[in-house]
Amino acid sequence: MPRTSVVLAAGLRTPWCRAGGAFAREDAGHLGALVAREVIARSGVDPGAFDEVIAGCVGPPHDQANVARVIALRAGVPRRVPARTVGRNCASGMEAVSSAATAIEAGRGELFLCLGVEVMSRYPLIFGERLTACFERLSRARTPFARVSALTKLRPSMLAPRIALLEGLTDPVSGLIMGRTAEILAREFAISREEADRFALESHVRARKARDSGRLAREIVPVLPLQARNETRSVEHDDVIRDEQTLEALAKLRPYFEKPDGRVTVGNSCGITDGACALIVASEEKARAFGLAPLARIVSWAFTGCDPARMGLGPVFASAIALEQAGLSLADMETIEINEAFATQVLACKKAFESDAFAKEQLGRGSALGALDLERTNRNGGAIALGHPVGATGARLLLTTAHELAVQGQRYGLATLCIGGGQGGAMILERSPG
Amino acid sequence: MIDTHGLPMPENAPPPRSCVRLQHPEPGLAVLVLDPPHRTLAVLDLPLLRDLDLALDEIEGDASLRGLVVTGRSPTSFAAGADLDALAALTDPAVVARVVGVGQKLFERIARLRRRSPRLRTVAAVGGPVPGGALELALACGCIVAAVARETRIGLPETQLGILPAWGGTTRLPRRAGVPRALEAILSGKLHSAREALSKGIVDRLAEPEDLLRIAGDIAAGRSRSPRRSRGWRALLVDRNPVAAGFIASRAREQVLARTHGHYPAPLAALEIACRAPRTSTAKSLAAELRAASALAVSPTCKHLIAIFRGSEEAKKLGRGPDGRARRVPERAGVLGAGVMGRGIAGLLAERGIWTRIFDVAPAALDAALSEHRAAAAERLRKRRSEPREATEAIDRLDASRELAGFARAGFVIEAVAEKLETKRAVLGQIALQVRADAILATNTSSLSVAAIAEGIPVPERVAGMHFFNPVKKMPLVEVVRGRRTSPEAVAACAGLAVHLGKTPVVVADVAGFLVNRLLGPYLDESLRMFAGGVDPARIDAALEDFGMPMGPIALLDEVGFDIASHAAASLHAAYGDRMAPCGVLDPMIRAGILGKKTGRGFYEHAPGGRGKKPPSAPDLARFIPPGRPRLPALTHAEIADRAVLAMLNEAARALEEEVAATPREIDLATVFGIGFPPFRGGILSFADSLGVHAVVERMMRIAAAPDVASRPGGRERFEPSDSISAMARTLKSFHA
Repeated sequence: MPRTSVVLAAGLRTPWCRAGGAFAREDAGHLGALVAREVIARSGVDPGAFDEVIAGCVGPPHDQANVARVIALRAGVPRRVPARTVGRNCASGMEAVSSAATAIEAGRGELFLCLGVEVMSRYPLIFGERLTACFERLSRARTPFARVSALTKLRPSMLAPRIALLEGLTDPVSGLIMGRTAEILAREFAISREEADRFALESHVRARKARDSGRLAREIVPVLPLQARNETRSVEHDDVIRDEQTLEALAKLRPYFEKPDGRVTVGNSCGITDGACALIVASEEKARAFGLAPLARIVSWAFTGCDPARMGLGPVFASAIALEQAGLSLADMETIEINEAFATQVLACKKAFESDAFAKEQLGRGSALGALDLERTNRNGGAIALGHPVGATGARLLLTTAHELAVQGQRYGLATLCIGGGQGGAMILERSPG
Repeated sequence: MIDTHGLPMPENAPPPRSCVRLQHPEPGLAVLVLDPPHRTLAVLDLPLLRDLDLALDEIEGDASLRGLVVTGRSPTSFAAGADLDALAALTDPAVVARVVGVGQKLFERIARLRRRSPRLRTVAAVGGPVPGGALELALACGCIVAAVARETRIGLPETQLGILPAWGGTTRLPRRAGVPRALEAILSGKLHSAREALSKGIVDRLAEPEDLLRIAGDIAAGRSRSPRRSRGWRALLVDRNPVAAGFIASRAREQVLARTHGHYPAPLAALEIACRAPRTSTAKSLAAELRAASALAVSPTCKHLIAIFRGSEEAKKLGRGPDGRARRVPERAGVLGAGVMGRGIAGLLAERGIWTRIFDVAPAALDAALSEHRAAAAERLRKRRSEPREATEAIDRLDASRELAGFARAGFVIEAVAEKLETKRAVLGQIALQVRADAILATNTSSLSVAAIAEGIPVPERVAGMHFFNPVKKMPLVEVVRGRRTSPEAVAACAGLAVHLGKTPVVVADVAGFLVNRLLGPYLDESLRMFAGGVDPARIDAALEDFGMPMGPIALLDEVGFDIASHAAASLHAAYGDRMAPCGVLDPMIRAGILGKKTGRGFYEHAPGGRGKKPPSAPDLARFIPPGRPRLPALTHAEIADRAVLAMLNEAARALEEEVAATPREIDLATVFGIGFPPFRGGILSFADSLGVHAVVERMMRIAAAPDVASRPGGRERFEPSDSISAMARTLKSFHA
């Protein structure tokens, strides 16, 4: 039985904004719902026709437990349509799409609203355990004396908060913060600081060009941020891009994760960012019935595990499987979007893609997957220049790949990313004819 | 037994004992249910009072009773207050006194149940609308439990209708809630939500509708303590302290006078009685209520205010379907153009729960629209008029679009782009291609013909005018314009939406200026001519403020903007000929860049940010008067007002002749809600009626014969009585007869 053809029927995203910046007062519900409403309005789809709303989000706001449901209702999707939030760390946005595709292939629905959303600005500070225990004693104290005695146990040192953002970016199994996994790859694959900085600079140059040519605007809906001051104008562009970035400036930065000899700096890593991306995922039949011109067809996808301490190699493992499933080779991929978590990590992937030894030892293949041509990779810049709102990125890679295929008039594209905790995700798209 | 002889009895009055049910759910407890079969919502009309009297006989005679609950037929359907239809028809103060007396006595009997032996615990279980007389009935009970429901609206709106709460409300509320809060409630006439009513001390406890009767029963049966809180020391120090009460009364009097300019006697009468109530015996205080009410209820002011209230209720029925229920409002709407009007309309739609998409080509205008909307939501939150959830909801319901796309699912589109026929046609034509097949396309034009705009649009029957006034959120009127090809469904849908937005719709014909601007034209122009004739603009404004207008015509011109006023005047001139000829005095001012408030300078000088204005300096303005203009003879205040108002009246009579609006009542409503014509005068045509047609004709003829008027083109035409006024003078009829 032939599998149902699944397409990305429509999609949009907000600009990606540096955390603590333009979207500092946003919440995931508002930002997600805004882009969802815009996709629904522009596509003309009846929101009552959705079988489900699926949102990928790594850190949903504490007051929006199932953030997908919050977004659905705030986007005007009727109450009867269910919603779920899915998580696969950095690939959560891609997970939302693959979940929908799985459901469509299984015949459990035909039309899905999928989102990736992340407002890292609003990750909370957490009270330490000692302070929590102190509060607990206080709330249990019944007599005034017991209350005073509980209060006297309070120490200034207890007030130091735990930062959810930093702890979230640390893999609890290997105990490594993400930047250190990139340092491991840099050493093992012999990536120099200068190579990494060059790669980072190129990302900014490409992103700037794509922004100025209007290429990025194709996928962006302008957003007037919540709590914007009077006279503030809406944000139209990704604001992480540095127009004035230079190799010299990058070279001046001190290594962030491994001082003094590390190669990973804030300049050649992706930034902490806020943003939301929405895609309508549908069976091809349903999309046509709604009069939608699909952006692209989903050919195959794969998620797979790898060493948590070398999570950055995830794309190589996942792409190998997705290509195998599709019966295609890396050379067939005319457009590749690989998430730039770290410059050293992408460059390590490139070497792994191209290494026969790696293929034999790690992938169980006779020869290398093929060349990762940087000319066809991240043509509009990547996360180093655009930012990486973790839960949203997976969806953005798919949106960008689909648009890029249309802009270039190409057939196949690959969107792939590494996933904190030691996984990789990859999805192959084919431009829809017409 | 009530002597009902000579009192207003509705035609469909049911037989005795059918309007009030007395139930005994348990020994010692009685539940009195207001359930008149001839009303959908109980009204305290004569049949109900009659049956209440019979029920009280029974209760008073039952010594076994320990508790009484007074309630409506459902937790959210208590009673609508006194019978306004009957009240409007009363012209004899003696009859009014009898009606008032009947209610007072009944409610006083309920109040006395608490003090009889054995004592009776009396509890009012209310919900839904509880206005005026309905609340006064509840106030007679020992405690009031209110249902927490969206429909619950509790208050004493009588002063808004030119009377005062005279069934004991003015006496009992100050004793219960304290003088300051009682005054606030009585003088504002505001209807409060259940929560507000609790916080203001009007009711004693809240209950979910499902629990209302059980909780009221528990209190009446003595199982739960009465939730009524005593005013404690405040009663002695504030309410019963003559010095404090005197101070409060004088402050309240000042505020009322500042607001009403002495045109409304009811609030003044109410505040005197309310301030004294805690220090006066009930009998005396009730007697004072009765005296005041008998005089007020037969006054023209009261009749006019009731007529406007009923007219506006009638107008709101336009928004109901044939089944009498509110029409379905569209789930999604589009607004085209993010100028001042578009922004206001879009914000209001979103506030009222409609998913709204606003389009403009200028990103800055869209950003301003969103900012303004969010600021308004934040402001309501700050003033505790809404909850955070509602603010979030309002914000989520407004989206901006830089392209004329994404409106496919809109059931209603309101166009508010530039006042250019081609532009309007183009955007509406484009939008007609993408919206739902049953979508209504409304234009907010103020000067173009709806039929002309509809020309060339594939669905002209679904194009109607919806003329909002600036500022959109404050102005209570919407003119629904029926174009030549507009379908009745489209008109009804516009009216329904207007009602949903809290506006009073008036359906008008597709003529130049529609109704309001057409009437404003001669009124404003006549005022400008007086200025050009040498009258101090501040005097013109003062004369019309004395007449009762909320703002004089000159100040109004400053608000509207000279460019806009002049543009409107020109289009009226083109449509109606010389009687609408503008005097042209604005032109040199416009050329000098003086446009009114928006430029900081008009006739008045305006401080930035709308904070106050300085009086106009006549000599400075005089340079704009073209030389050679004849100077007017000295005019009195009354003559100034006459010229402006009678110019408007004559045009209103013409509009009625041409059936621009269907009834004189609707023209009155439009002038009160759209122009601010003094409500106590009942609107422009009611004003003519109370003046008497002969006086109207005589004054009009006098002005028409004045040398400056007679000599100018169109002057006589403007003031010589229109056909219908002349005919009325011959047949001695009136507009509303």
